[in-house]
Amino acid sequence: MRGKLHINGEWHSFHADPATPLHRVLREQIGLTGAKDVCGEGFCGACLVEVEGEPVAACLLPVALAECTQIVTIEGLYHDPVGRRVMAALEAEDAVQCGMCFPGMVMTLTHLLKTDPTTDREKVKHALVGNICRCTGYERIVSTACRAAKAMAEADVREETA
Amino acid sequence: MIPAEALEQQTDFHHPVTVQEAVRLLAKLGTNAIVFAGGTWLMRAPAPSRHYVSLGRVAALRQLVITPETVRIGAAVTHDKLAAELQGLPGLEGLAVAAKRAANPAIRRRATVGGNLCTKEFPAADLVPALLAAEAMVKVVTPEGQANQSLLAYLDWRREAAAQNHLLVSVEVPQRAGRLLAHARLTLRRAGDYPVALISLSARPDAKNQLADVVVAVGAVEDQARRWPGLEQRLTGATADKAFAVKMAQELVADFRGREGPEVPDWYRLHVLPELLGRAMAQLQERLANGGRAA
Amino acid sequence: MNLRPSLASTAFARRDASDKLRGRTCFTVDQAYQGHLQAYLLRADVASGEILRLNVSAARQMPGVRAIVTAADAPYQFGIGVADQRLFATGRVRYKGEPLVAIAADTLEQAKAAAGAVEIDIRPLPAVIDMAAALTEGAPLVHPDWDGHEVVLEARGARRGGNLAWESLVRRGDVDAAFARPDVTIVESSFAVGRQIHMQLEPRSAIASYIDGRLHLVASTQAPWTVKNVTARALGLPASRVRVTAPAVGGGFGAKYGCTIEPYAAALAMACGKSVAIVPSRAEEMLSCPCRENADIQIRSAVTADGHIVGREAVVLMDCGAYGGEQIYLTTMTAHTLGSAYRLGSVRLVSRAVYTNTAPNGAFRACNGVYNIFALESHTDEICQAIGMDSFEFRRRNVLGDGDLGSTGQVFQGDVLGPMLDKMALLRAKDDSPLSGKSSADARHEGWLRGRATTVGTWFVFVGPSAATVNLNPDGSATLVTAGVEIGQGTMMQSLPQIVAAELGIAPAEVVVHQADTDAVGFDVGVGGGRTTVSLGAAAVAACAEIRQKVTDLASRLMQVPSSKLILTQGRVERQGHPGSGMTLASLAQEALQITGPISGNGSFTRPGVAALEGCTSGHFLEAVDIPVFAVHDCEVAVDPATGHVEVLRYHVVQDVGYALNPSAIEGQIQGGVVQGLGYALHEEVTFTSDGAICQNGFGSYRVPLAQDVIPVVIELHEGAPSIGPWGTKGAGEVPILNVGATIACAVSQAAGLRVQQLPLTPPHVLAILQGRKLPLPPDHVQAWPARPGFIPHTTKSAKVADNLKGKDRS
Repeated sequence: MRGKLHINGEWHSFHADPATPLHRVLREQIGLTGAKDVCGEGFCGACLVEVEGEPVAACLLPVALAECTQIVTIEGLYHDPVGRRVMAALEAEDAVQCGMCFPGMVMTLTHLLKTDPTTDREKVKHALVGNICRCTGYERIVSTACRAAKAMAEADVREETA
Repeated sequence: MIPAEALEQQTDFHHPVTVQEAVRLLAKLGTNAIVFAGGTWLMRAPAPSRHYVSLGRVAALRQLVITPETVRIGAAVTHDKLAAELQGLPGLEGLAVAAKRAANPAIRRRATVGGNLCTKEFPAADLVPALLAAEAMVKVVTPEGQANQSLLAYLDWRREAAAQNHLLVSVEVPQRAGRLLAHARLTLRRAGDYPVALISLSARPDAKNQLADVVVAVGAVEDQARRWPGLEQRLTGATADKAFAVKMAQELVADFRGREGPEVPDWYRLHVLPELLGRAMAQLQERLANGGRAA
Repeated sequence: MNLRPSLASTAFARRDASDKLRGRTCFTVDQAYQGHLQAYLLRADVASGEILRLNVSAARQMPGVRAIVTAADAPYQFGIGVADQRLFATGRVRYKGEPLVAIAADTLEQAKAAAGAVEIDIRPLPAVIDMAAALTEGAPLVHPDWDGHEVVLEARGARRGGNLAWESLVRRGDVDAAFARPDVTIVESSFAVGRQIHMQLEPRSAIASYIDGRLHLVASTQAPWTVKNVTARALGLPASRVRVTAPAVGGGFGAKYGCTIEPYAAALAMACGKSVAIVPSRAEEMLSCPCRENADIQIRSAVTADGHIVGREAVVLMDCGAYGGEQIYLTTMTAHTLGSAYRLGSVRLVSRAVYTNTAPNGAFRACNGVYNIFALESHTDEICQAIGMDSFEFRRRNVLGDGDLGSTGQVFQGDVLGPMLDKMALLRAKDDSPLSGKSSADARHEGWLRGRATTVGTWFVFVGPSAATVNLNPDGSATLVTAGVEIGQGTMMQSLPQIVAAELGIAPAEVVVHQADTDAVGFDVGVGGGRTTVSLGAAAVAACAEIRQKVTDLASRLMQVPSSKLILTQGRVERQGHPGSGMTLASLAQEALQITGPISGNGSFTRPGVAALEGCTSGHFLEAVDIPVFAVHDCEVAVDPATGHVEVLRYHVVQDVGYALNPSAIEGQIQGGVVQGLGYALHEEVTFTSDGAICQNGFGSYRVPLAQDVIPVVIELHEGAPSIGPWGTKGAGEVPILNVGATIACAVSQAAGLRVQQLPLTPPHVLAILQGRKLPLPPDHVQAWPARPGFIPHTTKSAKVADNLKGKDRS
């Protein structure tokens, strides 16, 4: 099928079998390679993209069902204030190693910080059940997320009181 | 540039907007058609040359209606939504746990209640034992018409030829005063892998604080989830007590034949079953101590 | 070399983090689509068989197919120790998943469809799936033609024959006399471990193009020069005709230390003249993964009542799979892992690499070390129990110290392990608050068994040749050119620019690190063995010394100051003690253009070599280690007696790092390495179907640790141990995984009060131990004591084998 996808605020056309998983179309046809093709089964989270505001595993989403939705990939998440904050925090805390899992990590953590600003270690770890990292041993990512949540909450308080 | 013929279409997606339209499509397409709900199972092993009847645009299937008597869950309601809607609803905590702890967050946002019940190849679906213990009814539509049946009956019926091209529309869970539901799952890691065993336990305390209307459902241990009638009998009239429950389960565990799989040997599933039942019973105990609510 | 310039910036952040977080980094897999053909490998579906017919003519006619290559196109043999492998199964299939045909087409789907059109007829032959079967008398041989294979790496006294791919031996002192002493307790232990899969997130992948008669491979590799040399050999080309470049690599852990899939893309690109990408699916990646090998270990010791180990012997069987590969080399490591850490009166170790009809194994972080330390430390606890000595005290008394002999007679320098154990004791004391009552997790651990253990381990930096070129650019920045690859470890982003910056007196951000390119720089062994900071760092230091010489010589002429009085600091060359004097490096580098020409330096490094005792080893490639590295781990676990689940409550590491060049980076490696070790110890299991295929085929069935399964590791870096590394550094990325299996196993054994003889300790396995169920252990096919060389227990041609063994014995 030929179709169009609305990604990061722009329209992109594609030509693929309708059952093709979204991440393959993003990577192979549209040139958005931030979503990684790692497990293809929804276990690892490396291909997470936001669809209608929620992170989903692009490997389990047929491109035919991604038409007519609002898609934000990791490339677009940089323009989201919370997303950018998460990225900056992970960079500042020296959390990154090989980097393959981080686009998905950022997707999950951004969503978590938006939906649950009172997050703690336990909640972060629960949220990361579908994000596999083979390099870092997770803990630095978890600490960073908690610190970022706290910093955001304090910033919000400052904004509110200002 | 990839030549166009290389992108020859293998599959067709159909997007009905009503239940009737979906059923008509399934009937018309016959054996080449398969219902596509959340896709979290089908996308892992896509079947070639298939017609997928997507339920994404059938609004009716996404509804979840809570009345004092029942909770009616549309087949296309996701695990995520189910967990959120059941939040704080007394009596069905175990169903909320099953919806909230299965798989991982991204999968829970896509995987549907209907998909969990229809995928007969998947023995470790959390919602199946939880809904069995809740004595859920399912509504099924076929070209011949619609029918309500118990989930218990449905699990066998879905394997029959007559079930070809049926559409599971909704699941209805009765809300009965005083009835509690607990769900215990055992994974090899803390979470994230397919459970090696699942137990859902439903009961209510009678006037003498003894357990009545006991239902025990076991998932993942055999190829298909089922109830544990022998144990239900033993627990009926007993008080909610973990140690007693474990002992009874140990005595009756031979009622099951453990499924051998690469992840665990058959004996392991059977061995952990009593402990898992104990954990479910401990949840009930705790809730009873808290006047029927989770702590 | 031990400058340790005070301006070394020890908290230098990595420059690749931002792009990696934004999804901008282009790994090899991210470059593999637009404009490239896609390759697919048709693989054998039997473990052993004779290829009766293979016809690709119909496949060639399939839509989109651009090239097909088969065994006929690549008849050349290659291998690490023994050239026993070809690109494609040739006449005979030796493992399930062995490549038969490579196909390039416009799309992957077309290539797969064409694979379905290959006509193939394979007659199944009896297969040996495990080492027990392979070592049975009269077992079918995986390589009936083993005697014809060329030995690539010679080693004095090596023995091989039949399904025994390689045997190496260590003997020092009179072991038999030690075991015959009347005053010793003899403790015997046996162990078995399964394979471990790297599960690096980026699969092995490569893009090949063939331009002007030369191959260019863009590869996700840890070792560009290995890819270059092996690809050339496998395709029968001069190495000079292959260029390898390596972009950012999405994890390796050893999976990308060898050359595996790159030659297929290369052969296809040569065949059709178009660029070809090969990106295996996760299932293919796991089917053909060069795993950490499964191993069986028997070890016994003669120990006096006061805890002296007067004699030790061990037999280690390592499964190399269908081809010798890394395991032939790794037989050498037993001397430096199992044979190390403790003072031994006498020692005899036999290490055997064994052929089986399974996928070839490979390299994995702390190769050979993790299971040998598991065996060694579990055995040590069994000794302590047998002689009634506290296990911490026993270790404190017996660990190698200054002047002690290693198993091969190497003299160790410095007291390292002893003081590290003392530090661990302090660390434990500091963090010994009772865990109960602290969190909701404690309620879950009610009724669980508790255990705690401290272990030691010895590893070493795999030094070896490296080259570096440093250019001092006219703007005052420097460019470092090496064949080093950034695989996530941070060396290319942090420690190497830090070293160059400090040596040249500039900021680390002013050091440009060139992506690995075998056309641009000299030979390098590759990223592995914890060697990058040490070997590439030393080569870079040497290159910088040449630059400093040139700079000070020129500045001396320009400034009329003796060059001995000049220093390079803060981007300037100035008179010592006169900050702000002299000139900027940028202006000097510009002046140089007209006077001497551009300033650059070349440096190289190779292992200086350390002596072993003459006659202690045979079949060894490395008789003594240049840079030993030590680790002490400690953990507390809780074991659920009802389900066999193990939870780690605390984990402590004291690691010998020499000099901590970038503590944040090292601690990141330790946390990550320990967690990978927890996977090995507790979760990650590889099993085989009866017909020889690996059962696990994805992240669903192969369970790596997730965030909820891990805890923060409490870390103390031990500095000051001797090292020939630049500024006294040692490799820090490999060793963190070394003792994890050992520490967990010893703690679980403590908790259960029972022997632990197998890894991984999955819940069913732990429950089996607690219930006394029979495990597939102990390995009954390990040779009976005493451990003697030359034991070839199989093959129908034993007389001929014995003759051949004599012939191969180069002692």
